[in-house]
Amino acid sequence: MANFNLRKAEPKDVPDILRLIKELAKYEEMEDQVVLTEKDLLEDGFGNQPFYHCVVADVPAEHQKVEGYSVIGFAMYYFTYDPWIGKLLYLEDFYVMKEYRGFGIGSEILKTLSDTAVKNRCSSMHFIVAESNKASIDFYKRRGASDLSLQEGWRLFRIDKENLLKMSAEE
Amino acid sequence: MDFTIRAATLEDCKDISRMILELAEYEKVSDQVKITQRDLEQDGFSKNPFFHGIIAEVPEHHKSREGHTKVGYSLYFYTYSSWKGRAVYMEDLYVMPEFRGKDMGKALMSKVSQLGLAAGCTQLNFTVLDWNKSSLDFYLKQGCWDVTSDLGYHCMHCEGDALEHLAQGDL
Repeated sequence: MANFNLRKAEPKDVPDILRLIKELAKYEEMEDQVVLTEKDLLEDGFGNQPFYHCVVADVPAEHQKVEGYSVIGFAMYYFTYDPWIGKLLYLEDFYVMKEYRGFGIGSEILKTLSDTAVKNRCSSMHFIVAESNKASIDFYKRRGASDLSLQEGWRLFRIDKENLLKMSAEE
Repeated sequence: MDFTIRAATLEDCKDISRMILELAEYEKVSDQVKITQRDLEQDGFSKNPFFHGIIAEVPEHHKSREGHTKVGYSLYFYTYSSWKGRAVYMEDLYVMPEFRGKDMGKALMSKVSQLGLAAGCTQLNFTVLDWNKSSLDFYLKQGCWDVTSDLGYHCMHCEGDALEHLAQGDL
């Protein structure tokens, strides 16, 4: 199967994007964590000030292996900033449906994103991988990625809404 | 001690640049800072800023040994969680050593939390280096949790030559 098309996501892709987000979350055993809705995705990605950008991979009708789906992969990304080196591209989600792996679609998506990063004068592309996800870690390391948590001791910290509210109330 | 927390303006970039270098020195990596005051002005204060800043300022009679009244800052930007939606990322948080212990760090972080919540964010994320025990303790006390420790998420990146090769489709 050689035919696939990579393109910028459009509002009509939102239901497929959410479906693929949930599939990826399921693969990471975190499906119950997804609270995002189609409405959120539409407002946040296609309004005046998008919080994210998306590329999708679709296949023509004759190559559909799974009934009814032509959008079979996606990547969600946005631009961040490092005050030492400037603009970065942050890869939030990256997924190709199981039935469509092994055809170079993932590699092509990553190439497109890297090209986007370089064209936007980003010094680096950042992302998070679960340490248990050996397949993905190998995939990225083969492509020259390095593990900042292991090599430089980076730890991602988070405050969730409840504590965020408490913190914002402190004077 | 009296201090105010306010949004950063273009004129603050000189002091932000100074304090970025001070923070890099504190983290023992000041040779890695490539961004200049001019870059900050362009990247943070043009039509589509890549980051936002807030400043902690003291009155003239409390100025630092070297005569500075802008004595702390935070840089943040909006990101997106494919599970939860809008999020805010605190990239830098810094208070000059002679002004620590007066809750300015907490006040800066509180301001970022307020702004994030106002923008519809449900989480605040940031990175801490694993050797930075005093910062780790401070954040854990504020109700933050260590995503790298608890979920095994590693921060990875693809930069410089590796990014260029990826963009060209080399493997």
